Amino acid sequence: MRRGGSDLMQDSSAVSPRGHIPGEAGVWLLIFGEMSFFTALFASFLHARNGDVAGFAAGQAQLSRTIGAVNTLLLLTSSLFVAKGVGAAQQGDTIRAPRMFALGLACGLGFILLKGVEYAGLFARGIAVTSHPFFAYYFGLTALHLGHVLIGSGLLAGLTAATRRPLAKPSHFALMESAGCFWHMVDLLWIVLFPLLYLVA
Amino acid sequence: MSALLRDRLFQAWILLCAVTLLSLVIGGASGAAVGVAVLAIAFAKAWLVMFTFMDLARAPLALRVIACVWLACALGTLLAIHAGAAG
Repeated sequence: MRRGGSDLMQDSSAVSPRGHIPGEAGVWLLIFGEMSFFTALFASFLHARNGDVAGFAAGQAQLSRTIGAVNTLLLLTSSLFVAKGVGAAQQGDTIRAPRMFALGLACGLGFILLKGVEYAGLFARGIAVTSHPFFAYYFGLTALHLGHVLIGSGLLAGLTAATRRPLAKPSHFALMESAGCFWHMVDLLWIVLFPLLYLVA
Repeated sequence: MSALLRDRLFQAWILLCAVTLLSLVIGGASGAAVGVAVLAIAFAKAWLVMFTFMDLARAPLALRVIACVWLACALGTLLAIHAGAAG
């Protein structure tokens, strides 16, 4: 099937049947494992902050909340596009699915660009990993997350190319859903990372 | 346009963006309750992403329960540590 049309306007939800595990079952082990690992890091960050609340608040004041918020909106928007892309691919729409994944990828690349701008601004002010424990956590957590964004962007690029043709096997659908779930996990991690680093004072 | 507004994914996205802006406004205030509110909002957003974008709403009950329990445990852990600083 080859369909097209007005992209976001088309309903690509309610495709998968009830009781269906999105993606490969194993990808959920990866997702919960990754999220547990990050939660341990978040807990470590909060614990360290308890020992130097004023110092961490001063470090937080150096960050741009606007960039953090825009990056959050970019990842949320990319998640919308990816969810739409998965739905379109399940419906065999070889026009809309790659378009949605490409838009999701564009948002991901926008996130990477803004993160680079933020890093450059901090470096220009002489702020580095060793400046304060807050920045050790900030650079460590955001760089680790950025690595996941880069991997996810690669997966979205692959999905953009792969969904130009109809997916033939059930395993292809499961892989596509798994890649989509990985990208949503990247979004989830940032959803918690953003308030911890930028907002919780 | 009305079809777009009826779409559950689009509705979730609108809500997530609105709540993000709300937490940005709340985060500008000071006080221990602000941290609790901002973290609770973050985990509510995480739940919404899991159950709409990741399509967990249609997943088997066991996976949905695991996701909810995991979110509650993670939020509880972070709030307990945050409360340590406030108290």
